[in-house]
Amino acid sequence: MSEERGKEELRTCEEINEKIRRGDAIVMTAEEFIGFVEQSGLEKAAKEVDIVTTGTFGAMCSSGAFLNFGHSEPPIKMVRCWLNDVPAYKGLAAVDAYLGATAMSETRPFEYGGGHVIEDLVSGKEVELRAESYGTDCYPRRSLETTITLDDLNQAYLYNPRNAYQRYNAATNSSDRTLYTYMGTLLPRYGNVTFSGSGQLSPLYKDLNLETIGFGTRIFLGGGVGYVVGEGTQHKPQSGFATIAVKGDLRGMSAEYLKGAVFHKYGTTLYVGVGIPIPIINMRVAATAALKDEDIPVDILDYSVPSRDRPVVKRSNYAELKSGKVVIGDKEVPSSPLSSIKVARKIAETLKRWIESKEFFIQRPIELLPNYREFKPLKIKKREVTVGDIMMPLKDLVLAKPNDDIKKVAKMIVEKNIDHVPIVNEEGVLVGIVTTWDLTRALAEDKKTLQEIMTRYVITAKESERVDEVAKRMAEYHISGLPVVDDVMRVKGLITSDDISRKLVGRRGL
Amino acid sequence: MKVKLRYPHEAASKPVLAEVILKTGLLINILEAKLTPKEGEMIIDIATQGPALKSALEYLKAAGLEVTELHSLVELDRGLCISCGACISPCPARAIRFDENLDIEIDVKRCVGCGICVRTCPRKAIQLI
Repeated sequence: MSEERGKEELRTCEEINEKIRRGDAIVMTAEEFIGFVEQSGLEKAAKEVDIVTTGTFGAMCSSGAFLNFGHSEPPIKMVRCWLNDVPAYKGLAAVDAYLGATAMSETRPFEYGGGHVIEDLVSGKEVELRAESYGTDCYPRRSLETTITLDDLNQAYLYNPRNAYQRYNAATNSSDRTLYTYMGTLLPRYGNVTFSGSGQLSPLYKDLNLETIGFGTRIFLGGGVGYVVGEGTQHKPQSGFATIAVKGDLRGMSAEYLKGAVFHKYGTTLYVGVGIPIPIINMRVAATAALKDEDIPVDILDYSVPSRDRPVVKRSNYAELKSGKVVIGDKEVPSSPLSSIKVARKIAETLKRWIESKEFFIQRPIELLPNYREFKPLKIKKREVTVGDIMMPLKDLVLAKPNDDIKKVAKMIVEKNIDHVPIVNEEGVLVGIVTTWDLTRALAEDKKTLQEIMTRYVITAKESERVDEVAKRMAEYHISGLPVVDDVMRVKGLITSDDISRKLVGRRGL
Repeated sequence: MKVKLRYPHEAASKPVLAEVILKTGLLINILEAKLTPKEGEMIIDIATQGPALKSALEYLKAAGLEVTELHSLVELDRGLCISCGACISPCPARAIRFDENLDIEIDVKRCVGCGICVRTCPRKAIQLI
């Protein structure tokens, strides 16, 4: 298909624009087109419909704006700058900056960020600008504080390196605690499922093979007009995860389609409205434009696994996810979106209206996007310190049996000067733990054997785990030591917060 | 009906709620409680309405409590809401859903005021009252 890709067999882009000019182009939203295909068949629909409009409105972290502030008197080479206390990237010319959506306010983190500044600018609000410099012969000023509005800037354009994922994996949580992620709040024990993307309205899914969306395609962006400026980062079209980079003038955009947002304990981001017109140039494009929610697969991943390769809990689809409940195993789990389907629909309708009223013409891409891209992981080349490196090994450990006498164990603790005693059965399998605190309590309550006082639900570590992960676990459960176990829970050692703080000092990049 | 009770100093050590339950035989569910020996606040759900509810409330007032009927535990600012739906599935009371226009609808009868939606909302459009 590669040489065929983008071939204008049913109609050319020029013919479509001519029809728009005459006012007789047939435009349908993706959902209207689905209905029409169901009613009249794909053949007839492809023959009659010129353009299918799409839309999506979701959190898109790889978004931001290039801003040019103009020169002050005397001028400054801004080395660092902040907009409403949100730092903007200053590794550019004197008064150019890039404000990223996920940059957080230094005074109100997890509350206000770059996305909110963009929303405020587009709303016409005044924004505080603060800048610092070391001063040069050509740019003598060393600091400034002022306020700006969008109108004061020379250029202000949204430039988003990755937007509009073709589809996106859904999220759930098998663990015992609530997770706060960029996929929203995930309740414990598969308590809910969240998903992102607009499914049958998704711009890039409706042109699944990327035959009409490419470099130069004119689009709806944030309520104004923008362009596709290439493949997005992490573009992976071969598995339905194509992305685009987009650009558009912030002037002309609307705060209705650019909304700053916060994900609890994750950080700030920007909801971006993207709508793309799909010219029905051949039967393949018509067929993908007609794909329905149930045709678009979505894997539900377990976000409690702290790995880039999260296990797939279930393969679902947008129809099931949008229904509000998903069956996982024998459990009916509530599901809800993170992207606004309501606004996505409105974008597709707005774009349709623009075309029908001759305000918007389609642009054939000057270059198609790649339809294959390797998705590379980041390799950590320095060896990282693991639990096995610093734990107290089995041979140095004090272990006890459940029916051991408390006094005997107390004596061992004093002799060896330790705080934690893992309790094991005959096979060396961990069955509990006691700490010096437990023994103090036992004394106070006059208990005799360990099994009366031991903690049976023990938080453990594995030898291969990174030390920082285990440190995080200790902090989470407010504990100071974890038994290290193998896959069948046999005790291999013990790691304490003491080991971490003492043995890691001065040991960078072991 | 959900009701907010404020316990002043004098009433804080008395088993007022137990007395109401024994006296009226009503089912009362405690949704939230912040009590110290000195004073306190509690949100309860009384599973009745009409005259029975009225007499229960009268009894609570007579015992010296400040009684406020809560018609809603949370407030949604529709100007901030973008109808994303992020609050729906995390709600443990299943009190939030989309209406037919895909706008967010909070069922005040189901809401227990836990505040998960407040934390979850990416637009900070929901507030506990």
